[in-house]
Amino acid sequence: MASIVRPGLLRQACQTPTASQRMLSTFTSSSIKRSSPLAQQLRPAFVRSAIPKSARIAAFHATQRQQILPPLPQKIQGTLNQPVPVPDPSPVHGSYHWSFERLVSAGLIPLTMAPFAAGSLNPVTDSILCALLVIHSHIGFEACIIDYIPKKRIPTIHTISMWALRAGTLVLGVALYSFETNDVGITEAVSKLWHA
Amino acid sequence: MATTRAFARLATRRIGTDTFCSSTRLNCSYTNTRPAAVQPAIFARGLASVTDSAAREPISKVGEKIVPDPARKPIPESKTSTVKEPEPGKDAKIKTFHIYRWNPDEPTSKPKMQTYTLDLNKTGPMMLDALIRIKNEIDPTLTFRRSCREGICGSCAMNIDGVNTLACLCRIPTDTAKESRIYPLPHMYIVKDLVPDMTLFYKQYRSVKPYLQRDTPSPDGREYRQSKAERRKLDGLYECILCACCSTSCPSYWWNQEEYLGPAILLQSYRWIADSRDEKTAERQDALNNSMSLYRCHTILNCSRTCPKGLNPALAIAEIKKSMAFT
Repeated sequence: MASIVRPGLLRQACQTPTASQRMLSTFTSSSIKRSSPLAQQLRPAFVRSAIPKSARIAAFHATQRQQILPPLPQKIQGTLNQPVPVPDPSPVHGSYHWSFERLVSAGLIPLTMAPFAAGSLNPVTDSILCALLVIHSHIGFEACIIDYIPKKRIPTIHTISMWALRAGTLVLGVALYSFETNDVGITEAVSKLWHA
Repeated sequence: MATTRAFARLATRRIGTDTFCSSTRLNCSYTNTRPAAVQPAIFARGLASVTDSAAREPISKVGEKIVPDPARKPIPESKTSTVKEPEPGKDAKIKTFHIYRWNPDEPTSKPKMQTYTLDLNKTGPMMLDALIRIKNEIDPTLTFRRSCREGICGSCAMNIDGVNTLACLCRIPTDTAKESRIYPLPHMYIVKDLVPDMTLFYKQYRSVKPYLQRDTPSPDGREYRQSKAERRKLDGLYECILCACCSTSCPSYWWNQEEYLGPAILLQSYRWIADSRDEKTAERQDALNNSMSLYRCHTILNCSRTCPKGLNPALAIAEIKKSMAFT
């Protein structure tokens, strides 16, 4: 840690003429440039913003900006008079998936309303609401990954992010399960927050 | 005292960044003279440095200066020449057009925005008239597609003032204070100037088999007949002229052009799915029944908003999805 801090400290010390000036630098805006890093951290954010640019550069951003998915040269499969290849039908990823997604979305609306409209709490509806929320968010994030991390361009990152999503969904499921079984449950939590 | 000064500086800073969002290449000198933006305490570490001290200032903008990114932005019109109206009359209504130019014969040069000024009194009312007049009288190297000049061929589709539309159906705004900007269709490979490469689009169109498929002959041995109600289902579908305005306005099509078919092609597919004379409806639906071809549509509705013929591709896609649901 000290080895990381040192170059910054050294440079700051070189820029600083005397220690006595540095002592009061927290309170005088004219000598902001000559303050120590510790003093920089201690003063309010809008003052700290005025520190010299060279001192604010973080250590781990040495690379330059890169486009995430730069456009590739155009590649046309087959001749001009051939159609693009038609994928094999897979309803599990197509129509079934869509129908299921819509059912879940539509089901969430009454499940969110019902406990508050009825004024009473039912652990069964609460647990169904939790399960549907997990599924709904999983499907939503999955669509984001398919859209923005295309399997065709970056298959490895696509696979990694899919598994990361599955892990995240699992963690969320376990967390909600423990919240439901050991704590008050989300409907009760929301109503408590509402009245808090 | 210091506090008020810092807030005032913050305010000017905000204004500065807002106005300079649009042109990324201009603002490098600007940002260097300004005080730094306020950052959360957690990011403002005074620890280490790289040699290029400008690299961390508004990150994407100065990054642009260090690594000029040839694929992103054309050279702005402020850095190119202006081609003026040859002989402006006495009470000329001079309108400025910024037009995207790129010449494949000079593959190393960046695309640029070329400025032309025209007298609206001598120009026809539509954008296509302006383009044709520029090509005829000012700059014959300007390249664009056009054919019918009445919105039925779909050749002159381009991005005018930020909206995909047909140049021949788009009136020139008569407000001469406003400058018009003309780009080719977005997210397409460019052949030259305003001419996009439509190869993939037409290959995708071919993949939905846009023709009548039947195995059985008609019952009376004559033509295939439809009731009026059946024919009415095709209204709003058959008018599509495949100008690709809708597809190229669709973000999903921008991201996944190779696999997602896009609104124009899906509307054409639905035109044959909805046709009562066609007997291959199930096959047509199966061809769309996968993760990418159809279901990358997230009902963004840019397609219906931009269609120069006033059609509703989003509705057609929704009808396909409905017809395939629970099957």
